[in-house]
Amino acid sequence: MKSLRIYQCEDSVDGIFSAIYDAGISGYGHEYIRIQPVVNGQSSELELFADYIEVEISEKKVDSVLKAIREKISYEAYTYVMRVVISSEPDRADVIYQFITYGFTIGAKITEAMQLDCVRRMFTINRNVNNEINRFVEILRFKEVQKEPSLLLAVMEPKHSILPMVTEHFADRFNPEWFIIYDKTHHEASFHNPDGRWEIRILTKDEEEGINKLNEVEEEYSGLWKVFFDTIAVEERKSHERQRNMIPIYLRKNMPEFE
Amino acid sequence: MIFEENATLSEKLQILSDAAKYDVACTSSGVDRKSKKGELGATSAPGICHAFAADGRCVSLLKILFTNECIYNCRYCINRVSNDVPRATFTPEEVCELTMEFYRRNYIEGLFLSSGIVQSPDYTMELICKTLHDLRVVHRFNGYIHCKTIPGASSELIEQVGWYADRMSVNLELPTEEGLKKLAPNKSRRNILMPMRQIQSGMAESRELLGMKGGNRSAFWHTQKRMGRDMPSDRLVSSAYKQSMISADKAAGNKASGLSDVISDGTKDVIIKNDGNGIEDVNINSNKKLNTTGIYIPDSGKRNTGLTQWRHVDTSRGFVPAGQSTQMIIGATGESDYQILSVTEALYKKFDLKRVFYSAFVNVNNDSALDINGGKPPLKREHRLYQADWLLRYYGFEAGEILSENRPFFNMYLDPKCDWALSHLENFPVEINTADYNTLLRVPGIGMKSAGRIIGARKTGNVDFEMLKAMGVVMKRAVYFITCNGHMMYDFLKVEEDYITRSLMAGEQGVMDAFGESVTYKQLTLFDDFQLGSAE
Repeated sequence: MKSLRIYQCEDSVDGIFSAIYDAGISGYGHEYIRIQPVVNGQSSELELFADYIEVEISEKKVDSVLKAIREKISYEAYTYVMRVVISSEPDRADVIYQFITYGFTIGAKITEAMQLDCVRRMFTINRNVNNEINRFVEILRFKEVQKEPSLLLAVMEPKHSILPMVTEHFADRFNPEWFIIYDKTHHEASFHNPDGRWEIRILTKDEEEGINKLNEVEEEYSGLWKVFFDTIAVEERKSHERQRNMIPIYLRKNMPEFE
Repeated sequence: MIFEENATLSEKLQILSDAAKYDVACTSSGVDRKSKKGELGATSAPGICHAFAADGRCVSLLKILFTNECIYNCRYCINRVSNDVPRATFTPEEVCELTMEFYRRNYIEGLFLSSGIVQSPDYTMELICKTLHDLRVVHRFNGYIHCKTIPGASSELIEQVGWYADRMSVNLELPTEEGLKKLAPNKSRRNILMPMRQIQSGMAESRELLGMKGGNRSAFWHTQKRMGRDMPSDRLVSSAYKQSMISADKAAGNKASGLSDVISDGTKDVIIKNDGNGIEDVNINSNKKLNTTGIYIPDSGKRNTGLTQWRHVDTSRGFVPAGQSTQMIIGATGESDYQILSVTEALYKKFDLKRVFYSAFVNVNNDSALDINGGKPPLKREHRLYQADWLLRYYGFEAGEILSENRPFFNMYLDPKCDWALSHLENFPVEINTADYNTLLRVPGIGMKSAGRIIGARKTGNVDFEMLKAMGVVMKRAVYFITCNGHMMYDFLKVEEDYITRSLMAGEQGVMDAFGESVTYKQLTLFDDFQLGSAE
């Protein structure tokens, strides 16, 4: 009997795609391959009868996988994969690997082929990530933490690594602004310049402290917003249950109207 | 009248959002517009909600009145002239400041500006127009603007606002003309429908000559086709052709011709062809009356209804690109649900409205003559109307299928789609693996997204119940109406009226208390009159 092969890689987008590349060209047989991102150097329980292979990250491997998805499957499949890979689901690497493997065989139809377990799982994760992106596009709140030049700061605590998608949205509509979006969960932040350039950086401890300090500023407009928010509800229709259904309590941190 | 002469910005905001809160349409949907360099804002076609107030309603736009002073005396309105409430008025500068600063903090998607009527409709509309002008031109705001049209304002002012706003709305206020006469003696149906017609034809003109401008093109085609309208020829829609028409006209300095003249002069053949194909509904001069609904196409008289200002304004956004909407008050006058739904259908078909909103009547003035709901806003009825409204707009239903003269009220216990399915069991069960899209859409528990996913998944094989769950089909409703590969989900399921009714209603405390476990479909439909019982 063939033994299981487990590709261990860094727990990152580049790590996962490098592992998929290595696994794909090995020709070992897909059902005997697993991909396991290793969080903080700690691997989960070891399988007894399995070969462990360490994956080396390379930009060439990543590009080659992404290009193949776009060209041999479809652009839609590519956006699917990109949203699933930034999720925090532990099985995402395996699911993407299976999805791509089937995708190379049946082509663009793969995104609709709900008969396959891996496609249903991709569909679910993709939907969760999408929902979270849309959620933070709605409820992210900025604060003017500095004047002349004006600097806006927003803090969020998402489950998945959605900072790039969220920043993209605000880079478009806030194009004349300097702004920072700080992702507390993943310890990273995006920095946007009015000339349209923006970048994402993993923050050091000191930088995180600096941003938290900036965030302590009190603002006039958040007070005005609270006045509006409290007034706009119709007394005769009040229902905290409905409100909780629309905006659950755990999402209310960092929103001035709920402070 | 109490005037707050020296009110602070915060006090004004409090008064003027309090006065605006009964307006229901707070959506920011209908137009996709990317940002422009150096301008703040963009719009997204599905709309974005930014907060949810204590009543659970979404807050998308900064919804305020410009002023709550008013010379009219509508009986349902908190701001009527005879009420003793604190009054305040913004300056255009204050509205701009609030909009810009709230927008930069991502509190809102844009501005929803309405107003009480000061001095005259024209004077009020001018103030609104000035505010929108400053916001777009001085502050370079590119986000969403929804603006109320003041009935009775001149067509010039309405057009000007339409070039700045994304969406405009004229409130129908009440479903019938009699209701309007009784409750809003200063308003007339004619003054409400005239601007609606003007905006409609302006939008059509703008669409033909400037293109869709970020509107949802496929949804537009879909609706037009469903309404049985002929499409303008591709020649008219091609952008190069439009541009050449506009620049030729500009170069000639042709003062007499608005955009409308360009169409009728240059492409007479197209106009004539369209007239023969049901488009006469859009024709501004037609004077038809619709008996069932009481909505007429008003006679335009000498009013100028074409777009005339396009040479002097920024046309890059198009004219009212997110379409127009309206709202009516439910439960202040005695209309049946069927009447209301028929009016809605006529508004969609004849006036190309994007949305019709319903506002459960809140008796703010404690008017005992209007107290027909036992003092509570009829929220359940409003909810049913919205459900039926979706069936009209997206599910291919007609008002006459959902309700009728003989059954003029919604079923309190069953949503309109389940109710329809139960009274048309001859169409069920539907086989998931062979039914077409429109048939799938009519199954309770299947929505537009899941119907699309079912069709998609059929390309790679058969669909089973497990997959339907994953696709988001609401199985607890759908199981009674579908088969997969010839089988129902469980062998014991029956396609039988009372069996399904009992299964759907199991656990509904209100129904169990009223009818017990052996409830029948007939029982539920006999007691479906909202006036009889309280469903809240």
